[in-house]
Amino acid sequence: MDWQSEIVYGSSYMTKRVVITGLGAVTPIGSGKDEFWQALLHGKSGVSEVTRFDTTQYVRHRACEVKEFDFAPYAKASDRAIGKGSQLAIAAASQALEDAKLNLDSIDPYRIGVSVGTTAGEIQILEDANVVRHRDGEDAIDPNIFRQHPVNNIPSNVGIHLGLKGPNMIIPTACAAGNYAIGYACDLIRLGRVDYMLAGGSDPFSKVAFTGFCRLGAVAPDICQPFDKNRKGMMVGEGAGVILLESLDSAIARGVEPYAEVIGYGLSCDGYHMTTPHPDGVGVIAAMKKALQDAGITPEDVQYISAHGTGTPANDKAEVTAIKTVMGGHAKRVMISSIKSMIGHTMGAASALEAIACALAVKNNLVPPTINFEEADPECDIDCVPNQAREAQVNIALNNAYAFGGNNSCLVIRKL
Amino acid sequence: MTDRIVITGIGIISPIGTGKENFWQNLLAGANGFRPITLFDTVRYRTKLAAEITDFNPKIYLGSKGLRYFDRVSLLITSAAKLAVQDGNLEGIYQPDDVGAVIGSTFGSINSISSFDLEALREGPNYVSPMDFPNTVLNAPAARVAIQFEMKGLNSTISNAETSSLDAMQYAADFLRLNRVKALLVGGAYALTPDTYWGFYESKALSGSVEGDEEICAPFDSLHNGIILGEGAAVMSVETESFAKNRGAHIYGQISGYGNVFNPNPESDDSEWINAGRRAIKQALDEANLKPEDISLILSGANSSPKMDRVQTEIIKEVFGPVASEIPVSALKAQTGECLDATGAFQTVAALMAINSGQLPPIVKGKGSAEIKHVLITGSSFTGNSSALIISAPA
Repeated sequence: MDWQSEIVYGSSYMTKRVVITGLGAVTPIGSGKDEFWQALLHGKSGVSEVTRFDTTQYVRHRACEVKEFDFAPYAKASDRAIGKGSQLAIAAASQALEDAKLNLDSIDPYRIGVSVGTTAGEIQILEDANVVRHRDGEDAIDPNIFRQHPVNNIPSNVGIHLGLKGPNMIIPTACAAGNYAIGYACDLIRLGRVDYMLAGGSDPFSKVAFTGFCRLGAVAPDICQPFDKNRKGMMVGEGAGVILLESLDSAIARGVEPYAEVIGYGLSCDGYHMTTPHPDGVGVIAAMKKALQDAGITPEDVQYISAHGTGTPANDKAEVTAIKTVMGGHAKRVMISSIKSMIGHTMGAASALEAIACALAVKNNLVPPTINFEEADPECDIDCVPNQAREAQVNIALNNAYAFGGNNSCLVIRKL
Repeated sequence: MTDRIVITGIGIISPIGTGKENFWQNLLAGANGFRPITLFDTVRYRTKLAAEITDFNPKIYLGSKGLRYFDRVSLLITSAAKLAVQDGNLEGIYQPDDVGAVIGSTFGSINSISSFDLEALREGPNYVSPMDFPNTVLNAPAARVAIQFEMKGLNSTISNAETSSLDAMQYAADFLRLNRVKALLVGGAYALTPDTYWGFYESKALSGSVEGDEEICAPFDSLHNGIILGEGAAVMSVETESFAKNRGAHIYGQISGYGNVFNPNPESDDSEWINAGRRAIKQALDEANLKPEDISLILSGANSSPKMDRVQTEIIKEVFGPVASEIPVSALKAQTGECLDATGAFQTVAALMAINSGQLPPIVKGKGSAEIKHVLITGSSFTGNSSALIISAPA
């Protein structure tokens, strides 16, 4: 059909440039953008023995939990009893607002919204209830806890805490959810529906996820070693990353200096299998290609790729193959690191935290490393920025994230 | 940006009928789906009713192969998607990269998540089946749809609870407006699950949960005292008008306006809810470039909870002023119950059927107009969202 050639990915009509002006991060290696960034540059590992539950019966015992998270500094008297997913998100959102120097009293509350991604949401509430149910029976559970379990409570609690009246949504596209939430938040600003969006992802440590990934044989015994020849799997993590997005015009008018610009994104779906990625990486390739097209750039324009890089043998190999397909000869030159080597896989928060790393990389011309790298894998023959952060010119960074259900995403972040 | 976003296929599995015709005829006839729950034991509750789908047989739509690992919400949404693909004549029309799915789902996966977790507690973490793990992610229903129909362009899930599928419509429309895909399957699903039922019961949201209250779903009626839950799924194929016309598709209607406002004081009195709902409708009218008097039918999200019904009434009065009493208002939850994520999709199907048949669903107030051109759909979530969607007759 002749109209098939008419489709153009990309958004030439969109003239509004969307920039990142605030960063908020609660992670296994530090809270707040400065602590998080310094930890990334120093190659700090967030891995430790699981504390949330007894892992005696499990085949694996280590994970990347957020240590000593204290919600008190962020809490308001008006906050209802809320789950940890909401607490992490509120903390990260509050940090992002403060970082962006945005005074909520000075703006129209209907023009600022919340868009959050997650995998499991307030899963800890259900897990805690099930422990009681299993031990003491159904009647021992306080049923009122279910009110805070549905996943939409996370953006809702952020909106309630901060008094925001704009679009309020949760996009639970699993381990790629942060990118989905940020991408659509950018669309809403470009389409003129809002002036500001708090966007990102939040996931508290999930026993269901830990159990499931253990049963899939995907969890590493000691450390996460993306792209290493002897990599043994992922580390289940937790955390939240939230960024403040606004138009460049708005940032200029407010007199704040943005970290970076989001110039496009691409989404795709394998439509193939619930947990196994497509063997040819077609979906991953499509997401990256769409992102480049949406941003109007070529592979050679990219200096850094924040890889999905979970550290499982299958993911890293497939991702490298896909990157080579998209980048061609440039794949050898582009820096590709996985901060999951440090913070583990923070699920729905992962791509949000990685987007923050990308924004700081283009801002500072510093690239966070892939730690725990010992032996090169011929099947992952890329520059994974092994073990040491690197000073290098970074104008454009790609942020890859993939998920169960074959959901693939790629966000493009550019230096201003 | 000028291309209209149109709806070309309808698939629905509801407590009052499967398929657009059954659903619509039963809606017109005033049928309801309320019956004693059979999916789980209600002995511990004062309440017994739900709009449960008792005759659902997914094999009719999906064959019998590979369904073993689908949970109920995935079966419902995938079956509804199949009906939409058939109704919209979409088979073989588009390349996989040009199509996708946007699904509203929040509560329907809870059973799978909880069962997986409890199984690990009972049998030990090394004995739970890894094949049951994928259903614990909230995007599983949407992913099942994508795999079933090999849709590779976009796969997304919106979990905004009661407003999910209204919000999914605008999300999908935006992706089409931005030329990212050519066609999307859009809808929502909820499957009755014991934990959700329990949660709603204990928060006294269910009708009849307080002693002395009759268990009844009666939006806007003085007998209203809470919701009755229902379940189901509805999916629609959504395309740009130019593509739809090019392939000669039947166009049921168009998405002409949408609005969404969050109320950061959901526990407050009615006024903030009214304000949020009113502003959401105003946004939708503005986007559609319509005036209140242009609306020919209101499909209200009123769900028989006294507060929601009051708020919905006030919103209509405030937005429509002197014409409020003229415009017919219908609350289809009187017949389907509160179907949570599926609700907005059911309302959208009803809007399209009203436009195409020229008939009005049972109305609680107002008079019928000669022609049904613009239908306003409203919805609110317990957690604070108010959404409004306007579906208009084909241009």
